[in-house]
Amino acid sequence: MTSPAASLSPVSVPRWAFAASLLGLIVTYLVLQENGLALGAGSELLHEFFHDGRHALGVPCH
Amino acid sequence: MVTTYRSLALRGLAAGGIAGAASALVQLLVTEVSIRAALAVEEARESDGHAHSHGEEELVSRGTQVIGGMLGVVVVGVAVGLVFATAYALSKRWFTDRTPFSRSLALGAAVFGAVALLPWLKYPGNPPAVGDPETVNQRTALYLGVVVAGLVIVWGASLLAERLRALSQPVRVTAVLLAVAAAVTVVLLAFPAQPDTIPADMPVDVLWRFRLSSLAQLATLHIGLGVVFGLLVDPATRRSKAATVTA
Repeated sequence: MTSPAASLSPVSVPRWAFAASLLGLIVTYLVLQENGLALGAGSELLHEFFHDGRHALGVPCH
Repeated sequence: MVTTYRSLALRGLAAGGIAGAASALVQLLVTEVSIRAALAVEEARESDGHAHSHGEEELVSRGTQVIGGMLGVVVVGVAVGLVFATAYALSKRWFTDRTPFSRSLALGAAVFGAVALLPWLKYPGNPPAVGDPETVNQRTALYLGVVVAGLVIVWGASLLAERLRALSQPVRVTAVLLAVAAAVTVVLLAFPAQPDTIPADMPVDVLWRFRLSSLAQLATLHIGLGVVFGLLVDPATRRSKAATVTA
């Protein structure tokens, strides 16, 4: 058994971690929500391409 | 031993990809069955004449949508994995006395509850041929509102557990569970009902089979992420054999 106290060593979180996480949220938004707000014309293609995944993950859709 | 954020983030991306792929497989084998049934309802409606004028000449073929949908789930898995790793690295009061694997699994279960199960209970997902395009923005706003409320509940529960540290563990766990139950009840009652009604031509079994498939996929994604990330970050994963020998 590893000692639990030892396994919880503090990890220093660099500033770019927040940018990376924001990028993760933006990607999630683009796949699951993009209805034309961010990408305009290209969005419809993206919207239809990911169509089944969006339904399957329970996100509201047309 | 995982000690840098970078190594945690890489494990988050990998775990997210694996959990996303597992969820995409559930989609291909399970969810697509009811999506096909729902699309048949839509087609029957269109050939009946009273055009549900989507006006959509097919931009993307059905085959591409199946592949694209699976790819989308994998991409979401990777993206969520990165955010998950960051949350894991930042959490300072999240089951601090447990092993990395238990912490990861508990975090995955909590994320599932907040961003999947709670929204599913209030606004269960619908297959194609159900949603009214007129209300999509309203439905999206309500859905995101419940997701945010779920995350606030999880955060509040961990804060409360820390505050009640003086209590014995059974009493503390009971108190936190009661508080979570009360908060969930408030959210379910406070948010308005789904604006859409289910069209009469949508069979109930297609609808519910779709909804349960969707929940299974979400559980595979989030709880799978917690399990795989836990396996990747816990040094005990590879040391289990040595530990048995020395014990």
